[in-house]
Amino acid sequence: MSDPVQIYCWHFMSYPHLPANFDEKYDTGWVTVPNSLWDKDKSRGLYQQYIDQLVYADELGFDGMVLNEHHQNIYGLMPSPNLIAAALTQRTKRGKIVILGNLLPLHLNPLRVAEEYAMLDNMSDGRLIAGFAPGSGPETFNYNVPSAGTRSQFWEAVDFIHRAWTQPGPFTHEGRHYPMRYVNPWPQPTQTPHPPIWIPGSRSRDTLVEIAKRGYCYFLSSRSHGKETARSQQLFARILEEHGDRYKPARMGILMSAYVAETDAQAQAEAKEGVWYFLKNCLKGHLRREGRQLTFGPGIPYIAPEEFENFLKFSDPTSPLLGDAENWDDLQQSASIVVGSAETVYRRIMAILDNSKVGNLLIQFHLGNMRDELTRKSMRLFANEVAPRLRQDSARLFAREFPGVARAAEMSK
Amino acid sequence: MSRRTIDLNGRMVAIAEAGHGRPLVYLHGFADVHGVAGELLPFHQRLARHAKLIAPAHPGCNGSDEISPCAIDDIIFHYLELFDNELLPRFDLVGHCVGGWIAAELAARHPERVARLTLIGACGLFVPGEPTGDIFMHAQPERGTDQNSLRALLFAEPGGALAQRWFPDGRGDLAEELRRYQMLRFGSFMGFKPPYFYHRELRERLYRASMPSLVIWGAHDRMVPPAHGAVYYDALSSASSLATLNHTGHAAVLEQPDRVADLIREFHDCHPDELADMPFDPGVQS
Repeated sequence: MSDPVQIYCWHFMSYPHLPANFDEKYDTGWVTVPNSLWDKDKSRGLYQQYIDQLVYADELGFDGMVLNEHHQNIYGLMPSPNLIAAALTQRTKRGKIVILGNLLPLHLNPLRVAEEYAMLDNMSDGRLIAGFAPGSGPETFNYNVPSAGTRSQFWEAVDFIHRAWTQPGPFTHEGRHYPMRYVNPWPQPTQTPHPPIWIPGSRSRDTLVEIAKRGYCYFLSSRSHGKETARSQQLFARILEEHGDRYKPARMGILMSAYVAETDAQAQAEAKEGVWYFLKNCLKGHLRREGRQLTFGPGIPYIAPEEFENFLKFSDPTSPLLGDAENWDDLQQSASIVVGSAETVYRRIMAILDNSKVGNLLIQFHLGNMRDELTRKSMRLFANEVAPRLRQDSARLFAREFPGVARAAEMSK
Repeated sequence: MSRRTIDLNGRMVAIAEAGHGRPLVYLHGFADVHGVAGELLPFHQRLARHAKLIAPAHPGCNGSDEISPCAIDDIIFHYLELFDNELLPRFDLVGHCVGGWIAAELAARHPERVARLTLIGACGLFVPGEPTGDIFMHAQPERGTDQNSLRALLFAEPGGALAQRWFPDGRGDLAEELRRYQMLRFGSFMGFKPPYFYHRELRERLYRASMPSLVIWGAHDRMVPPAHGAVYYDALSSASSLATLNHTGHAAVLEQPDRVADLIREFHDCHPDELADMPFDPGVQS
């Protein structure tokens, strides 16, 4: 039998206390959204509530908890996911702690990331999954990092950290961006040879090639899962073969959002406030045409001119983004936020797995300003009524689609 | 008017040329040839009536290869190599926008090569309280297609036909879109990271640029505020004048092509280059 799909709970930690007229009054939730909107009284205990939700995910049997790094926005209040991860190492027992990831070009020195991740791997007794990301449009404005130059900086930092975890120190690193005379981090990670490494990528073939060369896992950084998701999986599989490797589901992950309730109608009624807060406020400036969207703009993402030419040819600047959804039907189409009964959510996610054959589902349960008790109820229903079926059916699916992988797994036992 | 591509120590450099006579090197900006237009514009053609205009495309722009790294020192060295390769020991130099910054640096570092210097809406200076506009933020369209704030950064009249022609809403001409992207990319290599399109040391070094110089600024330049023009005028030891153009923004060469070209012509007429025939060894043959 193959390994089943791994199901993780992703928390973005959005800011939930925006005024009701935020969308009318402000043109973005990113970078320039005035922080005078931060309500100190209402925000007391907010991080505690969010950490508690992740601890609950661990108790419910999710395979892990996912954190990521954002700056100066209402979408994600984790400028330092490592701080939250440190808390989780002390409050959770089983699940993986996935940091997806530290934005390497924003850090002064990759040695610091190698050190902090190694600490977290020790503090969690080997439960860290180490994600590295270059940062996208908004982050380049936030930290004044010229994104056109970050690609070589990013891969040098990744290779530096890998080497710091696997090659006995002290050694000298002769890099263009981070020349270091003494590389010798204490501690070393608990996992051998090192924590699993995940790298997000979206439109860039080059990124997939770099991931394939190094044997890392590919996280597709898209929130919508139509045909493109399957195409990305097929492209990654082809690139792996070009590098003498073979695709297996564990090598790839996707992000989606879910809300589960007793019936479809009840799920929509309960999720409505949080979902629309998320779409209209949190995605404004990121995945919404309204306002000024900083994620894909010209000169901002680190894509090469040839790739940008293709982007110009095959994209439409007027096509709606996820945050432009106006009703449940639009949302249904994007296959991004799945809302319904356990049966509905199971069927829709299983369809995505059938189509894309990815082995890691990273699911966001808390959306926008969703209330704590609703978030927890949805997580519980998902863990009890959706996850077991997904695990069972995905193991069958993967065994059928990737028989060689299943045999290899059995041989190693 | 012609266009050629040369091999400069293994990397390609695209050069647009026009006219005859004394060499005049033109370093382009954003709203300019190579930055958005594929070919020389009316401004450059008018400038080329009395000179041999040589307008290289910056690395990565309009057919030139990228260079890496690509900070101001790398660009200066790139252009010194180009001038040596083109056997240009001494020439008139005109720079606009980011090209103006490069021109000012060249003039301060290698004054012997620059006969007469003209800066048009040049960035490059740190002027307290007068920051350079954030072209990267303004280049991100609103609602996916609306480029009004980019036009407002570059033109005195953002709603005018000229601004709409070169920076239209929505998906425009593919070649022009790609050129704009390449120019932004070049700009981000050079000027995104702090210092933001400036070099703090430049101001104190400008005294070395002792050649006759002219500073031209749009009164409504919102990309590089006119205060920068005043500082250039003060810091350049022999600046003859500071010409501030009414009803003109940052894209002066598009907005006032005849006026800007004529100002440069008059400036050159008033300051004949006495060293024009001095022998010069560019030093690369040794």
